[in-house]
Order: sequence, then C-alpha cells, then structure tokens
Amino acid sequence: MTASDAPKRMDRQGDAPDTARVAAALEGFLAEFGPRASIYLNACVRCGLCAEACHFYLETGEAKYVPIGKVKPFEDAYHRTTGAFAWLMRAVGMAPRLTAAELEAWEELIYDSCNLCGRCTEVCPMGIDIAELVAEARHGMYHAGFVPDRLAEITRNAESRHSPFGTPEDFRRTIHAIEGEFGVSLPMDKPKADLLLTLAPGDLEEHHRSVVGLARILDHLGVDWTLSSDAFEATNFGYLSGNRELQAELTVRLVDKAKEIGASTILLPECGHAWTAARWELSRWYDGPLEGLRIRHIVEYLAEAVESGKLRFRQVRETATFHDPCQQIRRGGMERAARVVLAALGFDLRELPDHGETAFCCGGGGGVLSNARAEPLRLRAFELKRRQVEETGAHRFVTSCGQCRLSFDRGRAATGWDKAVESLIEIAAENLVEDTRDAG
Amino acid sequence: MSIIEFLEGPAWKASAAAFLIFAGWRLVVILTAGRRHPGAEPIGSPLLGAVGTTLRHFVPRPAFWRRPKVWFVSLAGYAFHLGLFAVLLFAAPHVAFIRDHILGLEWAALPRWGFIVAAEFAFAGLLTLWVRRFVDPVVRLVSRPDDHIAAGLTFLVMLTGCMALGEQSVALRAIHLGLAELWLVYFPFSSLMHTFTWVFSRAVTGAEAGRRGVHW
Amino acid sequence: MFFGARARQRGTRAPLALGAGLAGLTVVGPALAGAPPKVGPPMQTGPENTLGGLSDSEIWGAIRHEAFGIATSQRPEDGVLIDADGWWWTELRMPSGPLVQGAIWFLLIVILAILLFAIVRGRIRLEGGRAGIRIPRFSLTQRVVHWTVAALFIIMALSGLVILFGRPLLIPVFGHGATSVMASAAMQAHNLMGPVFAVSILTLFATFLPGNLPSQDDIGWILKGGGLFGGHPHAGRYNAGEKAWFWTATLAGVVLSVSGILMLFPDNLAPWVAELAYGFPRARDLLHLAEIGHVVAAVIMIGFALGHIYLGTYGNEGAFEGMVDGTVDLNWAREHHDLWAGEMSGGSAGTGAAAEPAE
Repeated sequence: MTASDAPKRMDRQGDAPDTARVAAALEGFLAEFGPRASIYLNACVRCGLCAEACHFYLETGEAKYVPIGKVKPFEDAYHRTTGAFAWLMRAVGMAPRLTAAELEAWEELIYDSCNLCGRCTEVCPMGIDIAELVAEARHGMYHAGFVPDRLAEITRNAESRHSPFGTPEDFRRTIHAIEGEFGVSLPMDKPKADLLLTLAPGDLEEHHRSVVGLARILDHLGVDWTLSSDAFEATNFGYLSGNRELQAELTVRLVDKAKEIGASTILLPECGHAWTAARWELSRWYDGPLEGLRIRHIVEYLAEAVESGKLRFRQVRETATFHDPCQQIRRGGMERAARVVLAALGFDLRELPDHGETAFCCGGGGGVLSNARAEPLRLRAFELKRRQVEETGAHRFVTSCGQCRLSFDRGRAATGWDKAVESLIEIAAENLVEDTRDAG
Repeated sequence: MSIIEFLEGPAWKASAAAFLIFAGWRLVVILTAGRRHPGAEPIGSPLLGAVGTTLRHFVPRPAFWRRPKVWFVSLAGYAFHLGLFAVLLFAAPHVAFIRDHILGLEWAALPRWGFIVAAEFAFAGLLTLWVRRFVDPVVRLVSRPDDHIAAGLTFLVMLTGCMALGEQSVALRAIHLGLAELWLVYFPFSSLMHTFTWVFSRAVTGAEAGRRGVHW
Repeated sequence: MFFGARARQRGTRAPLALGAGLAGLTVVGPALAGAPPKVGPPMQTGPENTLGGLSDSEIWGAIRHEAFGIATSQRPEDGVLIDADGWWWTELRMPSGPLVQGAIWFLLIVILAILLFAIVRGRIRLEGGRAGIRIPRFSLTQRVVHWTVAALFIIMALSGLVILFGRPLLIPVFGHGATSVMASAAMQAHNLMGPVFAVSILTLFATFLPGNLPSQDDIGWILKGGGLFGGHPHAGRYNAGEKAWFWTATLAGVVLSVSGILMLFPDNLAPWVAELAYGFPRARDLLHLAEIGHVVAAVIMIGFALGHIYLGTYGNEGAFEGMVDGTVDLNWAREHHDLWAGEMSGGSAGTGAAAEPAE
C-alpha cells in the first residue's frame, strides 16, 4: 500500500478561537446558499460516480477524493441552517454540528484535491456542479482561516500589493525590462484606449514571450490597446481562495479601469480561471451585462480574427496535441475556438484520449498550483496527463493557459519528462504572416 | 374499524397528506433559498442548455464508458427505476388502488408475467446498488444513514408487495400498505426527494452550461 | 373476520378455473354451485392465477365431494385426476415422510455441530496478531456479487423453509391461519426472487471460479482436517474447504435453478422438457423429481451456508473484513492462506522472502 500524499498537518491563519472560526465559516457558507447550491445539495443520491471522473481519485484510488465528499462541511452547514427541515433537525438534536476540527480536516479536500475543473459534473446523474459547490465552500473556509498557507499568502499579496506578482511599480519595471529584452514597445497607462490588456503573474515572471506575442498580435490587428499599471492583474485569487470580497474588488477594478479609459474590450491572457472569474462570475457583482464593454479571452479573440481573415499564419505542418484548459474549454466554451487557431496554424492535431469538454485537468487548476504542499498530489494528476500526451505520439504539445504550462513544467522538472509544453499564443505570434501573400 | 380499513382510510389520507405537504414545503424552501445571481451575458441559450443537460445525463457520455462502475450504476439504476415505475404504476392491484383511492380513473394493467419481470429487474437493481453501498469504500464513505434507510424502506415495501401477490390475505396487504404509507411519510425528509430534484439539478447546471456555450 | 374481508368481496361464479398445477381442468359441481364458497375466481382486473397454492386444498375438498372434471386439454395425463404413480412421492414428501424429517434432522445436526465446534475450538484467533499491512483479497465486483447472492439466498432459504416446514413445524406453533398467510407470502417471494437468485448464482460462479479449481495442496489440507482442530495447513488463495463450498454452492445452485424453473412453469416448460426426457410429456414425474432435487440441494446448501456464515464471521478472526473492505491483514493471509500470501507479498519483493515468517 502506498503512503498517502495528504499533508500531515493543516494550515490555519490568524489566532481566532475555534468557536469564532466556526461562526465565520457558517457566515461564509450562508452567503452561498442560493437556489443553485440548495438544489444540488437536495439532489445528490450518493451514487459515487463523481469519483469516476476525478483525476485525484482515479490516480490515487483513495476513497476520500470522491468529489461530493469534499463539500461535507458546506453540506452539513446547509442542513443545519437552511435546509427545509433544519428547524426540525435542530429541535430534535439531529442537525449536523459543524466543528473547527471538521473544517480543518476538510482543508485538504477543499483546497488541495480540487482543481475546480468540473469534470465530475459531466458524469453526475443529477448533473450537480460540484466544482461550483467547492468554490462556494471555500468562501466559508477562507473566513474561518483554514486555507493552505501558501495560497493564503498569495491572496494577501493580491490584496495588499495589488497583485500576487507585485506592486504597480514592480509591474512597470518588468514591462520595461521585457521591452528591452525583446526590442518591442508595450503601451502602458494610455489615458484612452479601445482595449485593456491584462496579464497573469506567470506571464510577468516566466512567460515573457507570451506578453510579446500578445502585443504583436494586437499591433498586427491594428488595435488601440494599453496595459494599465493599476489594473493589470488578470488572475483572481479572491475566487481561488474563497475571499469573495477580494474577488469582487479585483473584478470591479478591471471594469472600472476599462470604463475610465473608454475601452470597449477587456482582453484576458492565456489564463483559465481569469476567464471564469471575469467572464462568468462577473454577474455576482453587476446586475446585468456591462454597457458597451466586453470581456474577451485571447483564444476566442484570436479565433475570431482568424475566421474573419484578419490573421494568417505560416503553416507549422507538424503533429501536435492540445491540452484543454478546464476553465477555458469545459467551463469556458472555447473548445472550437482553440481548434480554429490550431488548424489555422497548420497543425495536424492528434487529440488526447480525453479531450475537449471531457479533458483532464493539468492538476494545477483551482489554486492547487499555488498551494505548495499539494505538490505530491498534483504530480499524481500530472502522471495521468503525461501518459495521455505520450499516447498521442504527437510531436508538439500545446496549450493555451499559462497556469497549465507552469503546472506541466513543475511536473516535468519533478519527473524528468522532456516534453516541452508550448503556448498557443506564442506559436501564433511567431508565425504571423505580416504580408498575406506569404501565407501557404 | 379493522386494521385494513384504518390503513385504507384515515392512515392512507394522513400519509398522503404528509407526503404532499412536506415534499411541497421542501421544494419551496429549496427553490426560494438565498440570493439568485442574474447570470453573465450568455454565449448560448440557457433554456436550450437546460433541456440539453437534462436529456444528456440520461446516458453516460462516451468519455466515461471505460469505467466499469459507470456501467454498473447506470444499468442497475435503470433496472431498478424502470422496474419500480412499471410495478408502481401498472401492477393490477396498484391500478385498482389508484382508481379507488387517488384518481378515480384506471388504465391497462401489466399482465402477471410483466409484473414479475419488472419486479425482478427492480429487485436486482436495488439489491446490487444497496449492497455496493456497504462494500465500495467510495460510496460507503459518503453514504448517509438516510441513504440506507431509504433503500431499506423501499426494499421492504417492494418485498412485502411481492409477498402479497397471492392476494388472498388481508394481513399481507395490510403489511404492504402500512409500509408504503410509512415510506410516503419518510419520503419528504429523505434523499428519496431526488424523485423531484433531479430535474431541477440538471436544469440549473444545463442553464449555466448553455449560457457558457458548453455541454455539461 | 379480518382475514376474510378480501375474499367476501369477490365473485362466486362457477366454473372455477384451477391454478397452475392443474391447468386445463375445469371443475364444476354441487360443492361449488351450492352454498357460497370461500374461494372465487380471481378479480377481473387482477393478475392471473393469484389464487396460488392455497386454494388447492379447497378445490381438492370439492373434488372429494363428488366434483367431476372435464378435461379441455388433449395431453395424455391431464384427464387423470389422481396419479397412482405418484404415491411414492406423496409418501416421501408428506410432513412425516423421510424428506421433510430428514431435512429437519440434517439441519439440526449441522447447527449442533457448529455450536459444538464454537464451544470446543472457540474463535480461531490471529496467532501472530495483526501485521497492520492490508492485502487485497476480494475485488469490488466479487464483494457486490457475494453479498447480492447472500441477501437473495437468505430470502430464498427462509421462504423455502417456511414452505417446506410449514406443516410439521409452523402449524403446530402458529396455527393454520397464520401459517397459511406465511406460506402464501413465502411462496410468492420465493417464486419471484427465484430467477434473480439463479442469475446471481451464475454470476457468483463466474466471479469466484479463478482460484477455486482443485489443486494438490487440497489433499494435505483435507488430511489435516483443514486445521480446524489446530495448526494451519498450507493453502493457496482458497483452501479445500472453501473450494468445497464453492462447488457445492455451484452444483446446488444449478440443481435449484433448473428444478425451480421447471416448477415455476409446470404447464408450459415441464411437459416440453418431459417430452425431451421421456419421449412423452409426463410432466408430473419430472416435477416430482424436480421437487425432490430442489429440497435435497436446498437443504445441503443451507447446511453448508450455516457453517460458512459461522466461519466467515465470528469463527475466524480477520476473515469478515475481507468480504467487506476487500482487504485482509497480512498475518491473516499468512496463517490461513500461506501460499497465496507468498504470491501476494512476494510478487514485488522477489524470491518469496516476504512469505518466510509464515514458517
């Protein structure tokens, strides 16, 4: 029997007493008990099929990774406070009792072993969106101070320093360095622009070529765009950690900036959860569609430009396989868009055994990559992906998410796998045909 | 008043009323809970998404066909549910009961062999699924006491129903009817409520999927 | 009054179509045409043949009171009301006959033997304690199949015993009324669950066959009495006792299934099979054999099952968890199935070094 990959000890933030933690968790949970969570928590029949979709269960075989089991404290709180017979259960002493010990014990399941990838929803006979429930459960966990330390720290950075990457000053310095390194000009803090480009910490730290690629594509399309040193952060660690207040702040900051500079588009980089937070979770903070402002993802943006004939590429003519980032594809609706771009690049696409909307996560989504202690577990998920990539026999391995790439790179480093994972945007930018006559 | 008269009269009315009131109450609480978010600007149609997901989840999608448990739960689940519906709605004594005590109208009943086959599928499905609850570590971990009580009560109602098939003993009929009434009263408080919630669950997921232009 | 309420509502018209055992025979006569009989035809809306076996006694009462029959069937044996060739069976099968009495004594002896063994030998404990290392023994499929068969077996055995022992054991205790209710319930459950049990036992055979074929180790195991009275003889994945149970359950299951199905379809299937077997459709002879085979196989299987249940639960420390969790303690495997334990733990460690401490 293999030893468990679970951390030996859970983290806790602050020094609040247990009773205060439980009360704070309850408050966070209560804010999430809308009709959707309520329906889900009343529909599950415990068939256990969700486990059959979860890479953490499939790879470890450990029963505790069954997805619906990960939200037990959330579910208990529901039946104690909100369920139709909560009053009756409390009266007869049968209501589940939430304890700090339980919350702490579930920290690993809620943060380390869920990528919010949503694959379990697809196998669930009831169609329960367990990823959504886990994200909602994180709200209470964050309030109670039961978050993996590393994730909590990054979230604090996002809160106090503007971005997990750093302050606006750090950002300006890095952008200038990239300009110098690649000999490009990156417009910053223009008072007026049609498009506000946002970036992820991974782009600024490691994937500089992605930043350059984005700039090249936008320039090629003749877009009036800018970066903003006080609204550059695309990722949303409020969403990942369960800090809903921060999540709102980060989303509103982007929207306000876009409105301030008169932009019609906020463009998100090759990042997955940024798309979920800004595009789909936005309506938590705004009552309807934004007037005259669209939130676009670079993948769909690129596909649209390809289909309208504005972009042409030199043909790569190589076999490639594509890792579908969960938040962009399964939960983001860009399966076709990604393939439009791949086809336009002339790739001979060899799909993974599980691809498109049923693809497996890289293992790093949902804040797991930022959660250092989850690495052993994350590597198990990585193994699954590695097997599938090798099975395709494809020459190139491409994806459209910086977080996924970082996740693969860490996995590669840990296991000595030599298959490089490439950025779709970088490849597109490098193969741009300036003069349409060159194409073909 | 004899026991059977009591069970067919006041007890039946009381349990049916409890079922309607508490199940209705639970549905109202579920659907009116908390805040509802307006939803992001849609890519596709939430309505079509809701319909699509509701239909799609009747059959496991091919990506999961490699997993034996998906087959097992689906096949055993269908054997149980279809068998149960056939027996519940089309067994001759049930048709007569529905005519006399509920709707006042009747429809064609299953022939005896049809009843037997349906019941056998229902038993096989329920029994294997219930057994799995005890021996599969995954399901055992997440099973609540209620999951066992609901399965056990349903099993007892079905078993006593089959035992009363001879239709020559009022005692057997009374046992079956009494257990069925107990089942009705228990129903609204249990996971048996999935009878109604499944469609809402698939639909809300489907509506969000439709909004995002995906196929959950 | 309570039990009569249902019957009173029913129609009272003759002729009366008889149940399964005497299909095609229509009985009319003074006994039924006169005073309101207690039994009438089935409800028009109800399922067919709902009267089952219980009403047969009423019908035979009517026949004894000079009822006469008109056979609408052209089959040779259907005109015969009393089958003289069946007396041997009647005597064999009657409550005081050897079949029922033998079954009672057999099961009593088995129970006493188990009790005696439990007292003398006590619980067979893990001699070396627990190793704390779990090794997989039964797959999830095997466990689901096993417990499904077990649940169905209990239903089938209990209902079968009610039918078999109703007259000698239940009537003296509960009286005729209550016993007839129990018998009716038991028969319906038995008939309905029977086919499901037949399928389940086939599945059991398929899932447990690997490892249950006889091997040379079985001889040593049997010579040492299975270690039931001390010591642990060598054994592979299954020991000879478990293999005996597997094959007994399989063979008894086949006999029970075949005979049971014949008895389920006495009018359709049995004559057809009898024609194949005898050259003419003497279904009654075949059904006599089927019933005797059914009882003998069932009693043997129940007796064996009692021993199996004892040894699988209280009797052997550490055995039950194998069929629940699917895993057993390494020390349990070494003590009870040393050869298998060697394969399981030596597979990765190389030359069976892990199996050594079992010496």
